[in-house]
Amino acid sequence: MDVITRRSFLSHASALGLGTALSTLTDIPLVLQRALAEGNIGITGADGRTKKLIFIFLRGANDGLNAVVPFGDPAYGPPNRQDILIQKDPAQPFDARGKALFPVSGQTTPTFDYTAGLPLGNGFAALHPALKFLAPVYNAGDLALIHRVGYPKQSRSHFDSQNYWETGSPNSNLVKDGVLYRAMIESGLAHSSPLTGVSIGSSLPLILRGSKAAMTNLSDPTRYNLLAVPNTSQGNLKADAALGAANKAQFTGKRDRDLLELQYGNLASTLDIFAQLDFSEAGNTFVDDEATDGDMPYSLFPTTNAKNGGFARANNAQKYVVPNSAYGFFQNLKAASLVLNKTSALVAGTSIDGWDTHSNQGAATGSHANLLRRVGWAVYALRKYFTKYADKCRWDDLVIVTLSEFGRTTIENSDNGTDHAEANVMFVAGGGVKGLETDALGTVKRSGVFNCGGSSDPIAWQTGQTGSMFQSTGRYLKRNTDYRSVLGKLIRDHLGATQTQLDRIIPGYTDPKESLKARGVQTRDGTEVIGEPDIV
Amino acid sequence: MKKTSALFPRIALLVMSGALVSWMAAAIDAPIITGISAEPGRVTLGFAPYPATVEYQIERADALGQPYRPDTTGFLDGFGWTGLASAPGDGFFRVNARVLTPDALLATTLLQRIAYGPSPDDLARVRAIGPDAYIAEQLAPETITEDIDSAVITPSWRKMTVTGTGSSSSLYIYLDGPGEVYLDDIRLVAGTVDDGTKANLLRDGDFETALGSNWILSPNVAGSALTPDEAHGGSLSLHVVSTGAGSSQSTAVYQAVAPALNAATNYTLSYWHLTSPTVTAKLTVRLSGSGITSTHGLGGAVDSPAPIFAKLKDGSATMTDLRAWHLLHAIQSRKQLTEVLRQFWENHFVTEYSKTRDYFDNAGLSSDAAGRVATQLESKENLRWRAAMSDPKATFHDMLKISAESPAMIIYLDTINSKGSGTSIANENFARELCELFCFGVDNGYDQADIVQISRVWTGWSIRLVDATQESNPFAFVTTNYLDPNAITNKTAVTNLVGAWSFNYKAANHNTAQKKIFFNHDAKGAVTTPKLVPARFGPPWAGRDYSLTIPAGTGNPTLQEGHTLLGHMADQPFTQEFLSVKLCRLFVHDGFAIGYDFTDAETTPEEELVHACMLAWENPSNGGPKGQLREVLRTIFSSALFRSDAASLQKVKTPLEFVASAMRALRARRDDGSYTVTTDGREIQPVMDRLGRMRLFDRMEPDGYPEDASAWISAGTLAERIRFVQAALMPAGMTGKSDVGASTQTDPVGLLRIKAPEAMRDSGKIADYFLDLLFPAEGQANLAAFRKIAVAFLDTADDGTTTSAFSALAPGTSAYDLRLRGMVALLMSTQRFQEQ
Repeated sequence: MDVITRRSFLSHASALGLGTALSTLTDIPLVLQRALAEGNIGITGADGRTKKLIFIFLRGANDGLNAVVPFGDPAYGPPNRQDILIQKDPAQPFDARGKALFPVSGQTTPTFDYTAGLPLGNGFAALHPALKFLAPVYNAGDLALIHRVGYPKQSRSHFDSQNYWETGSPNSNLVKDGVLYRAMIESGLAHSSPLTGVSIGSSLPLILRGSKAAMTNLSDPTRYNLLAVPNTSQGNLKADAALGAANKAQFTGKRDRDLLELQYGNLASTLDIFAQLDFSEAGNTFVDDEATDGDMPYSLFPTTNAKNGGFARANNAQKYVVPNSAYGFFQNLKAASLVLNKTSALVAGTSIDGWDTHSNQGAATGSHANLLRRVGWAVYALRKYFTKYADKCRWDDLVIVTLSEFGRTTIENSDNGTDHAEANVMFVAGGGVKGLETDALGTVKRSGVFNCGGSSDPIAWQTGQTGSMFQSTGRYLKRNTDYRSVLGKLIRDHLGATQTQLDRIIPGYTDPKESLKARGVQTRDGTEVIGEPDIV
Repeated sequence: MKKTSALFPRIALLVMSGALVSWMAAAIDAPIITGISAEPGRVTLGFAPYPATVEYQIERADALGQPYRPDTTGFLDGFGWTGLASAPGDGFFRVNARVLTPDALLATTLLQRIAYGPSPDDLARVRAIGPDAYIAEQLAPETITEDIDSAVITPSWRKMTVTGTGSSSSLYIYLDGPGEVYLDDIRLVAGTVDDGTKANLLRDGDFETALGSNWILSPNVAGSALTPDEAHGGSLSLHVVSTGAGSSQSTAVYQAVAPALNAATNYTLSYWHLTSPTVTAKLTVRLSGSGITSTHGLGGAVDSPAPIFAKLKDGSATMTDLRAWHLLHAIQSRKQLTEVLRQFWENHFVTEYSKTRDYFDNAGLSSDAAGRVATQLESKENLRWRAAMSDPKATFHDMLKISAESPAMIIYLDTINSKGSGTSIANENFARELCELFCFGVDNGYDQADIVQISRVWTGWSIRLVDATQESNPFAFVTTNYLDPNAITNKTAVTNLVGAWSFNYKAANHNTAQKKIFFNHDAKGAVTTPKLVPARFGPPWAGRDYSLTIPAGTGNPTLQEGHTLLGHMADQPFTQEFLSVKLCRLFVHDGFAIGYDFTDAETTPEEELVHACMLAWENPSNGGPKGQLREVLRTIFSSALFRSDAASLQKVKTPLEFVASAMRALRARRDDGSYTVTTDGREIQPVMDRLGRMRLFDRMEPDGYPEDASAWISAGTLAERIRFVQAALMPAGMTGKSDVGASTQTDPVGLLRIKAPEAMRDSGKIADYFLDLLFPAEGQANLAAFRKIAVAFLDTADDGTTTSAFSALAPGTSAYDLRLRGMVALLMSTQRFQEQ
């Protein structure tokens, strides 16, 4: 249904007093849902464009202090962190102001040969060197780095905390559906369009799960078609028809039968759509529009050694842009990008596992650095892909957001690792994201770093042994931003929800005790938060 | 809800009064009439499906107070009924559902939950001995005789028969790799049946006279010859000896058939071969052009876990071996409940093979050796759980100890290098999961302060390569057995040592301070009062002081701290609750939670069952120790919830359950001891990866693989589930078969021959047989739609439109075989086969 029809229907509906009486869209006949939905989620604008979102879940809890590093805090250093410390480069003062440092390695030198922190030009913070490919995105003003993100009464259980991030409802195990699922329901498209929310991975993540409509998960896009006995074109048609008939058979109710019916239906309705997309390795021909490190233009989605940075030129693994263990993730990321760019899907996402660095976390290199390299290159590559290869989604239409269940202890443990803690970093990128702004002289008018700017932060970063890094139970970075404020801001101001819709998508969003919209105190644990960061 | 075994226990009332129609349900759980229309001389009813219904019947009373009598004027079609209103005017209708008897329903639930799905043989067996006998047997695995890990398969003669067309006149015999096989009495006759009287078109097929020019030996089978060592008929057989893979005439034993065969004519090939316990190569006998092809393993090593078990014992097994062994046990073992529980413990006390492997890789072992050591550690903890469960009084504490002392766990949750000495901060990883995932459940009776204290207890728990005889000595020194004792430079290198990687206590790393665990704290973090069991637990637990003070200590005796704590936590009500909930979720349904208020007067059956499990844990009926697993399991298996519709088909299969149940569903024993399904257990491992990344023994996250459906069911994984059954039902060589590998073979025709030979020419009977086998809990009457679809599939040509009666196809022909395979694959591709 196009926008004109929907808008006319809306005005008609509100004239009849229907518009305000809708507590939930799922009680309405399917064909009317899109028409009755308020807001702009999924609305194609006059320019033919639709706002979309990619999420990347960093499962296992990213050490935010080792990603956006608070160099300006003297407590960041020995003995709190020594084996996992990121070094300062005296030649690149972290307290200078300007653009982020983007170190260029030579054509034949290792990609990550610069091993000190990369000052972000806000006088306080630096990026982990493995995140160097975030620097160009940051310098283009397309990246917001939001530190000190968490929620009241932070759970330090991976599973509870991931659930809370995904349901948008901290400390409640009663909410069973996902925050982006609810956003898709609010779009009114979840029943009429076969594709709204899509994940690429081994299972449909909770953030897209719900009982009223099926979101789509592709476990291996290259194998998304069916076989049959005998495996001939006619035989397969016969089998498909019989299976279709069997799917319509009526049965008694059982606990999982609604879920099975929805997902079988989703399978049937999406097979043809995905058959149109080329998910194959041979189809992975997407290449940067500029050279990196004085080398050649690199493949955007490193899924083989040959497509991994400058490896192909000299068979040199030092020229990888990501570790070769990252190919599975980049296959998934490529698939998510294709889906957003080539179909009507509004949200797509995938995950990177393995962030639970209790031991041997490493410093400039090592296991955590290897994970960060994935994030850095992913954001860099998505910006290029949705610029150079844009079809149904331009970089300006897109927001990338990362999620991770909690941060890690300020002080390293006896295994050169870090344990479960509280506040963490979120990365938000996109053509419409409000990041770094400089004037013609290069003077910073606005930083893309939120909450890691020292005393200039709205809620200042307190330094020292009693400062922000230790404010929670003496070992944990304390939050000053709620993750729901970030997600809420994106769902409303990027995807196009109304505030009324957002109150349904994130329950309690305007509750004054939560202070999610504007600066205030979260009364559950008396912590002051900034409300929504101004990121889009 | 009461259950009754009466044939027609449930009724719904329909009251018709002239033109006014109203209806009501007489009982909440009766088939509800959902629609009614009446016109002169005709009445139509619709009703809701009712669980486990074998037959629906419509009854009619002419007036209130009059008896209901079956109304035979109409006909049922699915969940609708059309009848003739014999007389216009008032009438009362009700729908009766004849449901499975409680025993019949329980038999199906048992096979779905305490076993990896029904197999044709087990289904018949449980129906015969009764469900309670099966429960008793499965709860006492030590009473079950099982030899699949030790069986030396005695070679025996097996006959293979295959029908096809005369694509050529060259017949090839070859193996797909080095190996040997004995063949005898090979026959090729015209037609689709060999009744033994037809002329053998092959010369010297009885292998009794010299090979001469009738059988030609190509180079890689040049060592083949007639031999008196073995014979099926007569005194000689053909001993095929292959030095490499064969594929065609130039690599085969072959014969040019004369006179020439006709490409348009059906022929039937049959031969006998001797099964082999050791040869893994596959035998092919075929015509050039493959009009007739027979490819199969030799029946020995392919699907036997015995050779793998030998490798597990001697430490040479790889992770692929261990997974194959695990899968083969799930499919084949008679101790099905033990297999289900072993997976439960493996998954509850989850560890990650690749992390262990990487540890040994970094420690200096070659990657092969690291993989074998890591496999062995996984294997050992599993074998220990299995052995422990054969003790009638095995407790949860026993299972917990095995996990805590397992080097795989010590590596996985980072206690291996954790230090609490001096200023070192102990690693919290194991401490947290001990509370959250292994014992108490998340936020159930512990807090962060407890985790810090417990992490200090778990300092010093490490591993070491010790002399094999010292494996259970946690204070043993490094082994001094050298592979090469004369090596000068690398005498002590890990690669030059022989021994067992074992749990080892390093007191020097231990935090020697006093630990006060499960205490409350004031705002400044100082210890105040002991924690007490919350009121919601009610008697006998509420108000108990469950704090634990471990005094300061040094040296090796501090190892006891960990054991003291394990013993302390193992039987706390929090542990009882969490484990009871997990077991109920495994066996009953996913809708159990922790956090019930057991003192609340209002309860649910779920809450009551958890409470009953906890009481069985706390006060075992045999007076033995707390936490006996069989006491808890018996409580679940005897509960009304487990035995009712509340459990039946209320869960979705995990990838492991799906794959194993699909193999089991079609696996029946032939008279010669072979089975109608084979798989080597290796080639279907990638399937489980594709069904949602279920990598046995190798989960990254410490919560174990989930039980609930939403974690496994998505469009992508459903596509893979459908692909799996279709590929599994494909005959050898069909495009797409590679999804499951050539070792995974199914033979639904063979299954019919064994179990329902009388049905073979009747599409309706065939559908009935497979519906009962695959969906035994659904109730025949509820499968009417599936039956129609299955029958139509059998009676329709491949083009999907042309009528082609299945009864016209001859068993033994490839057309018959393929049509049946397609129908079975279809039924197993449905939503209903995802459930258990």
